[in-house]
Amino acid sequence: MKHLIPEFERLKARLPPGHDATLLVPCLRRIQEDRGYIENSDIDGLVEYLGVPRIQIEEVLSFYGMLRRAPIGRWHLQVCRNVSCSMRGAERLLGQLTDKLGIGPGETTPDGRFTLSTVECLGSCGTAPVVMVNEAYHENLSVADIDALIERLD
Amino acid sequence: MPGRKVLMDFEVTADSHTLAAYRARGGYEALAKALSTMQPREVTQEIVDSGLQGRGGAAFPAGRKWQGIDPDDGQPHYLIANADEGEPGTFKDRWVLEYNPHALLESMLVSAYALGVRHCFVYIRGEYDMPWRRLDAAVEEAYAAGLFGENILDSGFSCDLFVFRGAGAYVCGEASSLLGSIEGTRAYPRNRPPRMTVRGLYQAPTVVNNVETLSTIAWIIRNGAAAFREIGTEKSPGTRLISVSGHIRKPGVYEVELGYSWARFLHEDCGGLLCNKALKAVIPGGISSQVLTGKDAKVLTAGEVEGLTLDHEKLRSAGSSLGSGGMIVIAEGTCMVRLLQIMLRFYHHESCGQCTPCREGTGWMHRVIDRIVAGEGRPEDIDTLYYVARFNDGTTICGLGDAAGYAATAMLDNFRDEFEYFIEHKRSKHGGNLECQGSS
Amino acid sequence: MPGIFINGEPVDTGEHRTVLQVALANGFYVPHFCWHPELSIVGNCRVCLVEQEGRGVGIACNMPVYEGLSIQTDSEPVRVQRKAMLEFILLNHPVDCGICDKAGECTLQDYHYTYNGETARSHDPKLRSTKFFPLSERIILDNERCILCSRCVRFTREISKSNVLGMEQRGDSMLVRPVEDRTLDDDPYSDNVIDICPVGALLSCSFQYQARVWYLEPTPSVCPGCARGCTVNLWHRKPEWRLNALDRRENTRILRVTPLENPRVNGPWICNKGRDLGALIDRPRADRALLKGRRVSTKEAIDAARELILEAKSAVALVSSWGSNEELRAFRNALGDTFTCFVKSDSEPAENEVVEDDLLIRADKNPNTRGAQSLFGTDAPKFAEDTDLILIWGEGVDFGSLPRGVTVLFLGYWLLPENGHAEVFIPISVQTERRGHYTNFEGVVSAFEPCQPRPDGVIDAETLFPLLAAPPGSPA
Repeated sequence: MKHLIPEFERLKARLPPGHDATLLVPCLRRIQEDRGYIENSDIDGLVEYLGVPRIQIEEVLSFYGMLRRAPIGRWHLQVCRNVSCSMRGAERLLGQLTDKLGIGPGETTPDGRFTLSTVECLGSCGTAPVVMVNEAYHENLSVADIDALIERLD
Repeated sequence: MPGRKVLMDFEVTADSHTLAAYRARGGYEALAKALSTMQPREVTQEIVDSGLQGRGGAAFPAGRKWQGIDPDDGQPHYLIANADEGEPGTFKDRWVLEYNPHALLESMLVSAYALGVRHCFVYIRGEYDMPWRRLDAAVEEAYAAGLFGENILDSGFSCDLFVFRGAGAYVCGEASSLLGSIEGTRAYPRNRPPRMTVRGLYQAPTVVNNVETLSTIAWIIRNGAAAFREIGTEKSPGTRLISVSGHIRKPGVYEVELGYSWARFLHEDCGGLLCNKALKAVIPGGISSQVLTGKDAKVLTAGEVEGLTLDHEKLRSAGSSLGSGGMIVIAEGTCMVRLLQIMLRFYHHESCGQCTPCREGTGWMHRVIDRIVAGEGRPEDIDTLYYVARFNDGTTICGLGDAAGYAATAMLDNFRDEFEYFIEHKRSKHGGNLECQGSS
Repeated sequence: MPGIFINGEPVDTGEHRTVLQVALANGFYVPHFCWHPELSIVGNCRVCLVEQEGRGVGIACNMPVYEGLSIQTDSEPVRVQRKAMLEFILLNHPVDCGICDKAGECTLQDYHYTYNGETARSHDPKLRSTKFFPLSERIILDNERCILCSRCVRFTREISKSNVLGMEQRGDSMLVRPVEDRTLDDDPYSDNVIDICPVGALLSCSFQYQARVWYLEPTPSVCPGCARGCTVNLWHRKPEWRLNALDRRENTRILRVTPLENPRVNGPWICNKGRDLGALIDRPRADRALLKGRRVSTKEAIDAARELILEAKSAVALVSSWGSNEELRAFRNALGDTFTCFVKSDSEPAENEVVEDDLLIRADKNPNTRGAQSLFGTDAPKFAEDTDLILIWGEGVDFGSLPRGVTVLFLGYWLLPENGHAEVFIPISVQTERRGHYTNFEGVVSAFEPCQPRPDGVIDAETLFPLLAAPPGSPA
């Protein structure tokens, strides 16, 4: 986490002074982007850097769905299953992924390639159904598209 | 075309989101006008006069919200653009962020000037990647052009902007809970009083406006309140960005002049329903519209849609609202029980857990509907859903619990027979269909 | 100070800012879980409902008062909604009152019977969660019983400032949890969370399954652990509920110690040391007087002591800072002229003990130093060359540090080896066997009452001192 401090300092420049705790969620996101998940040493580092109590960081970590404390697969497939996506085939997509990867939502393939999750609305209802692969949205997916997508990701 | 445009008044091209393109279509003229010719209070007055209503869901007059702030009271003030667009069925702010980000930035500068704000935030939902990249690039362009930072356009006005990315919590779309997120805590909605314009971010007076609402400000200042009032209806001036999804041929974001015919919009502009099906129902404003507000999740049946126009008064008199502008179109043959199951699962998943009725009630309703769908429904379950919904209404800190209750009530009121059928026959009246069956 | 109306009666709001405070201060009870007078307002339980004329039902804890405000605390809309809130709270609560230590003093139990009383509408299984989660050596957490009012979390954040507790997850999966790298053992005030927990989610390990609370009664007392002198309640069996199967010691044992709210001294809190007062008192007692280590009657010992005092050329008394004001006065009146008196510290900070902090804990670990010093001065004990008799009252003196060859007259409580090293040892009563007063470091005087019988062979110091001043052979 320490090597990211210069970046955090640049973020701070656009904040009102004296409100370092505001950087908590941005720092956690940046650390996760860097390592893939948030480690105990990162929490200790932020306690020191931001001056917030450790319990506050732990509370935040378990509140926000995107933050995680353990590594996951190389490709994180997040299938939206909210109203609009379900109306355009999300359940079939999820079924196809489960069959093809042999894992259920919340699980990772034994080779560490894929982690499958279900999520609620991703704001992609007009281009439903959507699967978020790591950071990127893949929209208007058919079952054939998802097969092709899985082949491309190694 | 559904009327005149305010935010989609240009052709989208590969670079129409850039600063150069925005300037070429008159961008940042409103900022120059405000800084050089208007006093902060005059800007606020112009917004009051425009009759602009909040586009996040509650439709509260934006100018009246701003009047809650005294720009000269010597305290720090904060302005936050709420881009935590998480309402199912809603993706309009994403359009602004991706295709017209400078409209938001210019509007925020003008607003910050009006409200005596030195530091602004955009709170953008964590999952939005492309919208964030576009917004972030626009912010850097604006900083490089001297539009943010110290002494903007040599006016003596200084303003910084921080783009805050959320991390996956629907409740952050509720303005007061977003404050907690920015303060580095769990995002719990806050009790009122105090209002946020009295004690908001860092305990200072704060205005939180939806992206679409804010992005309209620059247009109003550039063209004047009177010009804005010429668009739309007398009580709902302007336009709305409507996100259309579900069983519809041409889903997407449309800018619609308020007062436009609903039937024409659906059947002509959006190309009508998929699979040539008849319309069964419309969820007009996001499944709960905006966490803050009330009856928005009310489902409109096909019969109710005919003859309606798209504006706040009409919808309110029909017992619903335009909410967040997230319109979900539902065709005949869709199982409303399973649709409600998805909605209730969503609310249960997103309840922050802070206050009793929502924490317990959303889970309770979710478990009941899951049981009905599993074929283990009991006749009294319908009454139980009504009961839980009733005591989530107005008893919670924010509107999430209310919205869950409204979703249940609206579905039960309009499609009770489907629920009774499911409980009695232990299967769906419509084969559990969510997708549109048949040729498109 | 606006005037408002509650249930039609005009009331003065005084210094209070919210409807809940005004209602409680004026005798209108409004039920509440999450609100606590010493903690921030969170308004999460949604039970403290009142009806505001013209504006409907809302929570009283966050409702500001203003002139002319009219409130109903028990109207039909309030009753209906309150009942629903209680039903929501009980939805996933295990209702295992039969095996819960909190039963009998549980707010949820009381409110259910007062404001709801009906059987559950839901037939679905309740959510399961962690039981017997250890928060420290002293406290266990039952997450199923927890109603997530967050009082305990706010206590560790706002009062003790240990920041040990927090909320994890969200929705109905939300849990109270300790921070990962520490436990509540790091919080010297942790046991207060047991008291402020409105349900049986936080339980004391030392009190668990010891007694049903309705068999117990409290005796008001003062914690002798430091110069703060927090007022406490000592809980023991009611006399009518003493059991033949238990011996006297068990029947009169102090089973728990809780704060006795006192705005002038400790507010509603005490530290963990005060909670352990029972164990301090429960040490083996000395109940026989000794003469040169030989057991004698108290009368014989007193006579021997009189001889020593009469014969002494230069006598020094080390007066106890654990003595009550009454005892201290009795000593001065009876023996103040006979002895050169110094106040001694009976107790010094133990290893690992918090010495002093900003909340309650004081560095002086004696309850009545101020009372003793007001009679005997503040000089440190010193002995003249010709000192030949030293009277030691109470604990804290290492006999090895005394001048060689002096005669020691020792008045003590516990069964200790040094009792036999004194020329004369007389056992005296402890705090729980007598009544009296202590003066705390700020000059506040607090009273304690007896709750345990004085063992045979033990004498109250207040009785003893005049007897010692009488000539040998006088009645004792």
